[in-house]
Amino acid sequence: MNETYFEQLEETLYHEQLPNGLEVYILPKKGFSKTFVTFSTKYGSIDREFIPLGKTEPVIVPDGIAHFLEHKMFEKEEGDVFQQFSEKGASANAFTSFTKTTYLFSSTDHVLDNTKTLLDFVQQPYFTEETVEKEKGIIGQEITMYDDQPDWRLYFGAIENMYKDHPVKIDIAGTIESIDKITADHLYECYNTFYHPSNMTVFVVGAVNPLEMMDFIKQDQAAKTFEAPQEIKRFFPTEQTNVAFSERSLQMDVQKPKVIYGIKATNTDISGEEMLNYELSMQVAIELLFGRTSAFYQDVYEKGLIDESYSADFSMEKGYGFTMIGSDTVNPEQLVEKIKQSIQSLAKEGQFTEEDLKRVTRKKIGFFLRALNSIEYIANQFTRYSFNDMNLFDVVPALENLKLEQVMQALESLKDEQTHTVFKVVPFEKNGNE
Amino acid sequence: MFQQFELAQGVKLYVRPTEQFKTINISFKWKQQLTEEQAAIRAVLANVLQYSNAEYETNADFRKRLDDLYGAVLYFDTGKKGAHHIFSLNAETVNDAYLSNEKVVDEVFNLLHTVLFKPRLVDGKFVDSIVTREKDQVVERIQSMYDDKTRYAQQRLLENIRPNHPASISANGTVKAVKAVTNEQLVAMHQTILTEDNLSIYVVGDVNVEEIKEKIASHFPFTARSTELSRDVEAAKVSTENGFLHEIQDMKQGKLHIAYRTPITFFSEEFPVMQMTNGILGGFSHSKIFMNVREKESMAYYASSSYASLYGLIFVLAGIDANLQEKAVKLIDEQLKTMQEGNITDLEINQTKSMLSNQLKEAMDSARAQIEIYDQYKELNESFTVEDWVAKWSTVTKEQISQMAQKIEKEFVYFLSGKEGAGNE
Repeated sequence: MNETYFEQLEETLYHEQLPNGLEVYILPKKGFSKTFVTFSTKYGSIDREFIPLGKTEPVIVPDGIAHFLEHKMFEKEEGDVFQQFSEKGASANAFTSFTKTTYLFSSTDHVLDNTKTLLDFVQQPYFTEETVEKEKGIIGQEITMYDDQPDWRLYFGAIENMYKDHPVKIDIAGTIESIDKITADHLYECYNTFYHPSNMTVFVVGAVNPLEMMDFIKQDQAAKTFEAPQEIKRFFPTEQTNVAFSERSLQMDVQKPKVIYGIKATNTDISGEEMLNYELSMQVAIELLFGRTSAFYQDVYEKGLIDESYSADFSMEKGYGFTMIGSDTVNPEQLVEKIKQSIQSLAKEGQFTEEDLKRVTRKKIGFFLRALNSIEYIANQFTRYSFNDMNLFDVVPALENLKLEQVMQALESLKDEQTHTVFKVVPFEKNGNE
Repeated sequence: MFQQFELAQGVKLYVRPTEQFKTINISFKWKQQLTEEQAAIRAVLANVLQYSNAEYETNADFRKRLDDLYGAVLYFDTGKKGAHHIFSLNAETVNDAYLSNEKVVDEVFNLLHTVLFKPRLVDGKFVDSIVTREKDQVVERIQSMYDDKTRYAQQRLLENIRPNHPASISANGTVKAVKAVTNEQLVAMHQTILTEDNLSIYVVGDVNVEEIKEKIASHFPFTARSTELSRDVEAAKVSTENGFLHEIQDMKQGKLHIAYRTPITFFSEEFPVMQMTNGILGGFSHSKIFMNVREKESMAYYASSSYASLYGLIFVLAGIDANLQEKAVKLIDEQLKTMQEGNITDLEINQTKSMLSNQLKEAMDSARAQIEIYDQYKELNESFTVEDWVAKWSTVTKEQISQMAQKIEKEFVYFLSGKEGAGNE
């Protein structure tokens, strides 16, 4: 078992890769009463084209299948797994993103029993045509619920505007029509390909004895048999640099227009240290240009062009990434104009100083230290970093070493208008509604 | 859980020294009776004080100062608890121990003093342009609820069952009340908060209790004020026996919100039993409503119940197909009825006990949750501990739960959906 001590943070991380390929990380936290255990596979909604385990030809599976599979993992021949977790006082959950699926529980008692339940239910699939059919009603309601959420539609509208071919533009849950095509055979095919231990990570954080927990997981895995690991072949279309649509909008029953100004990232086929530095430079750049202490923010706030819903972020995974600046606004056109001006004004040299950089990195370091109080934050973020060959605990030193020229370079990359898009959700025309 | 000190009459300090967190959390909570007019004034005041003060002219200047202090968090907020409106000032700062040679904590105390005691006043009034803009911001916050269909449906339900009552009055007031707020009212409310409102101050983190006591006393010279507010929530004014309302918006899903009343409140002897009862009915993913409405009938993605104990209300929420409203209500009615008839298994009782105690113990892993939970439970007992409360659930029996279920009465069904008979279009 490897042991890494992060002196500044006073945290010790334990790690081991098991013979079957499973990565196990354990982070004990003093003074906490609960333990959070996550079990994740590097498999999300964008993995729709791949060569199934033991086959030679690629297949394309129905949209929404990774999420559908996540739902179905909880049902077993003997009943619902939630029942077992409840009996041992554990809150269990799962979520599917573009790139990963995570199963988790948190509990203050019976941690080893609950860990056993988690490992077993994720590693023992049980799908029948009947249970698959039954789930379509539940997921159909989940899709409908998201359809009625203007902020979700806005977010996805902006992504659809940016991406022409990459599957990140497809809603994680799929559509009512696409999930209707899903069968038990599809689920087994995806399960067998992506749920091999060599494609998965267990992360444990909280009130835990690391040696005892590592032994427990090792014994559990040693008692189970798996096929030999095989490299997973996934296929992604080549995505153009320019956005697919420069402007579109959607009418919904909302009281005020909502807008996102999206900027498609161009340098996303990276991982590890390169990704960490690029991501942090972009985040710092966005904070400087569009954060709450920026001249831009001050201006649009005082003009009443934004409200408390305002946000400006950069996010990425391997293969895609974007900046989004968004708000509910009475005047989307004017807000968009202000955003454009702010990016164009970057031409002026030396707009940001070392002092600005220092202030923003301090803010981000403070945010990070606060976030380390949250077991949920650590559990959710750690695996994301690890799947991209980064370490969550490298964030503080990387921020401390960030150079102004890296940030200026990131700002420079925002300028190309061919990578910009606007998506709006607007109220229905007055006469049509009442 | 917390060490207590009375700093002045009506001003109490609660400190919890712990090495659990890398930060220090500070919270001031000023309490007053909840009315629409006062809530509106307090919500606008929170925004105005947040925006600027005598030392930092613009919000950007103020935020830059916070960023320099390792992104210290400092914000005003408004909320409600039972019959009371809570005006709060909260801060979270990195503990100096994790930084080399910095004195961040003292600086945060200075900033807290500034935002409270040094408002930006011109001729004894706040800056008019700021007041106007912040009123707009609060109005927009209230209006944005319309876009969140679940929150909107819940608010419509409350307005129908408890109009002009603390259960339905928002901590932001109403659009109309916010628009009517004047600069003079804001100045007067600021004084009321400083000198008249009942105040609780909380500090959680790796702190020295005597030092903190000293710091609070020297930075915030709060004087004596009246001690106790009536905690009684007025009885419902209108009877909405078997009420039903279906409203239409342009949307796809049906939002079903059902209200039940019960004489058992947070202050009742039977409160822990009612927590168990709600847990079995719909509080968790092993509960009757989830198991039947979602798992058995596949009618919903979410289906649950919640217990608003300060108001003696229970709500059941489910997102369903617009055509299945009647079927869903019938199914939910059956779950309550079967509990009233005593059909409760030992497994359900054990699961619910485990989940309730896990929930409460887990909450202790967040400093803010420690403050919120203690702030509520201290009303029952100032020496509240998690262990004592968990013990109360452990002795609850099936018979008690069944009796509690009999004290739950359906009052109103609210349904928000797209056009009726969707699919005909």
